[in-house]
Amino acid sequence: MINIEDVHKRFGDNEVLRGVNAKIEKGEVVCIIGPSGSGKSTILRCVNGLEHYHKGRITINDQLVDSNAKNISKLRTQIAMVFQRFNLFPHRTALENIMEGPIYVKGESKAEAKEHALELLNSMGLADKENAYPPSLSGGQQQRVAIARALAMRPEAILFDEPTSALDPELVGDVLKVMVRLAREGMTMMVVTHEMEFAREVADRVLFFDHGVIVEEGKTADVLNQPQHPRTQDFLQRVLNPIRP
Amino acid sequence: MSTMWSQAGNYLPILLEGVKGTIILTAGSLALSTVLGLIWALMRVSGNKWLATLSEWIINILRGIPIIVILFYIYFVMPDIGFSLSAMQAGIIGLGLAYSAYQSENFRAGIEAVDKGQIEAALAMGMSWPTTMRRVVLPQAFRMTLPPYGNTMIMMLKDSSQASTITVAELAMQGKLLALSTFDNKTVFTMVALIYLVMCLPLILFVKHLERRESKK
Repeated sequence: MINIEDVHKRFGDNEVLRGVNAKIEKGEVVCIIGPSGSGKSTILRCVNGLEHYHKGRITINDQLVDSNAKNISKLRTQIAMVFQRFNLFPHRTALENIMEGPIYVKGESKAEAKEHALELLNSMGLADKENAYPPSLSGGQQQRVAIARALAMRPEAILFDEPTSALDPELVGDVLKVMVRLAREGMTMMVVTHEMEFAREVADRVLFFDHGVIVEEGKTADVLNQPQHPRTQDFLQRVLNPIRP
Repeated sequence: MSTMWSQAGNYLPILLEGVKGTIILTAGSLALSTVLGLIWALMRVSGNKWLATLSEWIINILRGIPIIVILFYIYFVMPDIGFSLSAMQAGIIGLGLAYSAYQSENFRAGIEAVDKGQIEAALAMGMSWPTTMRRVVLPQAFRMTLPPYGNTMIMMLKDSSQASTITVAELAMQGKLLALSTFDNKTVFTMVALIYLVMCLPLILFVKHLERRESKK
């Protein structure tokens, strides 16, 4: 469904992606791990055209992703994105945040959008928060509203860019539980994350990024339990046992 | 003191005529400068290099010419090339143009202060650029722009007096004519100053109210 072929991207002289190849099938959950600055968020942002790439090809259902092309808005409606810092609209209530896309992008009626939005809020355990403004919600609640906002577009896939990195530790679980449920329901997901437990639980595959390339990839259990590449071994060692030498 | 104010009752109706002119002039040029300022600001942030450069030049030219010269140009030079305007029309257009440059910089500052993540979230859900502006960026920029907008309103009210130089019958002009015909400079100009102050007061309070509201957030 998502095809990434030899993608290169640089910021000035800094080459952040140096030939990335990956294929994500429908219904697959793929976790992207790696040290910071390895290009894992950048590739996610290239997939929905928030970043322009300089070389290579990305396609979604065989349609080319080009951030300057006219059809980019249409393509983005098929691929939702959840951000590290939520990026909810602070001037609109939780419910209005979720209804925004269906009404102003897809042209759904208000009644139709509201019914779906209430359903989604309810499934996130936030039925009582429909009239709350984002600044009055906790980080965990905001991220769940953001996931509901993504789902409201009925996307074919969702990109998660470190969705729990900005949360207090005790709120991470609420968000991960929602993501596990989505994965089990068959949603196609690309997840940039440091949550290895989440990866173990639901990811079909893991891609390990380092210095702008995929150094190692494979079935989740294989990569996490028997990493082959020394850099993967080193990274996992640091993440899983942060205080041991 | 009593001699100074004895004629005030006779002067007031003439000066109030001028107040009417000042209000029409200020309201008209405020509306025009708001619309033009918004257009310049949107061109500037459109992401289109040509539009952005054009807007930058318009703003620099308008900022670099004194208001009084812009007024002279519109009122005295335009008729030469076939556009005859009444003094009031020329005043509104001149002040509106001149102030559109400042309005635009206010609006642009407000737009650029909106978190980039907001724009990314809107674009990522498939919103077009115009819809992103209308639904996400401008409503948030509007709040930040209000206090400087209030200040601009006060400055415009006072600068509307410059239109007296092209014979617009506003407050300063009426005052000058009245003073010339009565030689009662002290009374007339004290009254003119007080009337300007009274007109500014509601605006000053409005700005203060907005600033207080913003600081509570």
